[in-house]
Amino acid sequence: MIISTDENMVLTDKGVKGIIAIVAIICLLIGIGIGWYVKPSPPPPKPTLIVIGPYSGDEMKAFTPVLKAAEEELGIEIEYRIYRAEELSTILPSHFAAGMAPGDVILFCHPVTIRKLAAEGHLIDLSEVIDRSKYPKAILDAVSVNGRVYGAPWVANLKPGLWYRKSFFAKHGLKEPKNWREFIDLLNKMREVIGRDDVIASPDSEGWPLSDIAEHFILYSAGLEAFENLKTGKTRFTDPEIKSALKDTLIWLIENGYFSEPEDWTTIMEKWWNGEYGLYFMGDWVLTMVKDPEDLDLIILTTFDDSASKAITACFPDFIIVPKYTKHPELAVKLAAFLASAKAQLVRVKEGGCVATHKDVPPDAYPASTKRLAERVKGLEIVFDLDDTVGGEFQTAFWDQLKRLWVEPEAYEEVLAKIEEKQPRP
Amino acid sequence: MKSKACLFFLLPVLILIIVFVVYPILGTIGLSFLSPEGKFVGFQNYVNVLTSDETINLKRFPFKHPPWGTLIHNAVWITIHLPLSLVLGLFFAVVLKGVKGSSVIKSLIFLGMVTPMVVGGWLVRFMFDKNLGIVNLFLRLAGLTYLADKTWTMWPQLALLATILGAVWMWTGFSMVIYSAALATIPKEYYEAADIDGASTFQKFFYITLPLLKPATIVIVVMSILEELKIFDLVFVATMGGPGSASNVLALQMYLKAFKYFEANEAAAIAVILALLTIFPALYVVKSMVGKQ
Repeated sequence: MIISTDENMVLTDKGVKGIIAIVAIICLLIGIGIGWYVKPSPPPPKPTLIVIGPYSGDEMKAFTPVLKAAEEELGIEIEYRIYRAEELSTILPSHFAAGMAPGDVILFCHPVTIRKLAAEGHLIDLSEVIDRSKYPKAILDAVSVNGRVYGAPWVANLKPGLWYRKSFFAKHGLKEPKNWREFIDLLNKMREVIGRDDVIASPDSEGWPLSDIAEHFILYSAGLEAFENLKTGKTRFTDPEIKSALKDTLIWLIENGYFSEPEDWTTIMEKWWNGEYGLYFMGDWVLTMVKDPEDLDLIILTTFDDSASKAITACFPDFIIVPKYTKHPELAVKLAAFLASAKAQLVRVKEGGCVATHKDVPPDAYPASTKRLAERVKGLEIVFDLDDTVGGEFQTAFWDQLKRLWVEPEAYEEVLAKIEEKQPRP
Repeated sequence: MKSKACLFFLLPVLILIIVFVVYPILGTIGLSFLSPEGKFVGFQNYVNVLTSDETINLKRFPFKHPPWGTLIHNAVWITIHLPLSLVLGLFFAVVLKGVKGSSVIKSLIFLGMVTPMVVGGWLVRFMFDKNLGIVNLFLRLAGLTYLADKTWTMWPQLALLATILGAVWMWTGFSMVIYSAALATIPKEYYEAADIDGASTFQKFFYITLPLLKPATIVIVVMSILEELKIFDLVFVATMGGPGSASNVLALQMYLKAFKYFEANEAAAIAVILALLTIFPALYVVKSMVGKQ
């Protein structure tokens, strides 16, 4: 086919097709270009905040829903990293000294170290982002410097007493004791039932489980005033009242073989659960770690008729701190405020094994096992534990010396003297 | 001109050494003479450390069981760990010399040496556990139930020994390898001549092998002493220095003071003491090596 009659301007069929193809390609490229130019820009990536906490295993499972809720609430991504408190004690000061932060928000349970870090200017002041009226004053005081709060309280744990399995007691016709005499009778019956002398499991770790046991016995045998005075150093571990109180109770039990040799606290927990031991002292987080928390009940020495006090200890809660060196200061502070809120604590307490520090968390939020625990400790005064309150060299010495006491009770005078050496002076 | 060129090429290394070695050393020494408030206190930190029961406890040493103090514990490490690992290494090197397939056995023994000390610490905990421990199992089989029914790392009487014996297992591979290499360098002719003279196996060992192994022995002794003085990770993991400081050592004491109690000045004093203790064996090695060159 001829398009033009001009011989010089003749376009063949092939030429026309070529032109069409070129035009089509140009149009396509222009179209792509316009499309690329006018396409909606993708949403900016969500900022990722690093949260550091001590929870692993079952405790982490219970904590994960809280992080999910925080991500939804604040529109952020959270990367959770596990660091034990003992590790953080050494990592944080060195990181902060170099102007760096290992995480944006950190859950840390040592109030003494938090106060030190705050005084050195490494932490962001959280006084204005939390409602201070919603938390117990003693908790906030523990992490306050010059009236400013540097740690937002997370949930807390109780260390209420010696756990036992209801099914084990029912099977062997054992009854909960009401005083020391009945307690010893119970232990002797357990010896017959289990077929071993050391019927009370001794959980071990860096030393904190033994210190929890010792503190419970101090509250039972020496009383609340002496316990509080041990924190300040007004009462000494070598004072006759403390010595004799422990000698007649805890040390007597160790000397007479009622306590087992210390063993890793999770390993020995399994053995106790399987009936190798009768009693096991641990914090309320045990409720999240056993197969059937409904089968658990407690012997609380401080509810005995002959107890010198009506009190139990509680851990300081993990405090949420925000380092000054975070890359996302505003978001990190918002996240800290959210984690400390009733909304976040509600999510956590539903999982069990802890109690809220925020006053607005309703009692019906707790699972049945925690509700029963609340019933059991009703009327008892809750005090913060001794070694966490004092911290530092005392804490390490207390843990280490108690390990020695457990296997060498006859050296108790020397053990108490070593602990007393590291006690604070009033 | 030549010296200027030398200096030019040495400069990068010198800068690195000054920044990363000399400055921290001087800083640590300086810190050891200051109070936490930054005031000069002379040798007070050294006096505090050396007169403390934590470092030297003469009230208990030697008639009562540990804790005897970290410095004495380090000395005990040298007294027990050094001869045991040395003799065992020599024994395996001699016994396995020329044996078919000995390289496999030697590799297995050497595994302890390439295992990280942190892992070694955990292994010590398991090895001496009353329920799981292989050592306790053998003790039970031997009828020593008193020892077998205890988790050694939990008892002040046994914790120090447990860490030392655990480290012997790890360190034997080192001395075995050094001795094996040294044994390979002894000429066969010496033994042939001794055979002609009618020497017994023991005579050949004591009059030929042992004297010719002296240079290797010196290396093993010095390196072992250095290791025993600065031992930290195994003790940290196995016992954390406990119970009741019964297995604590100088390096761990320094760590706890610096990073747990934030007593940097006394920690610096311990670091200087530790450096002074290790510098003599280290100097000996360097001197003997340079001397040979």
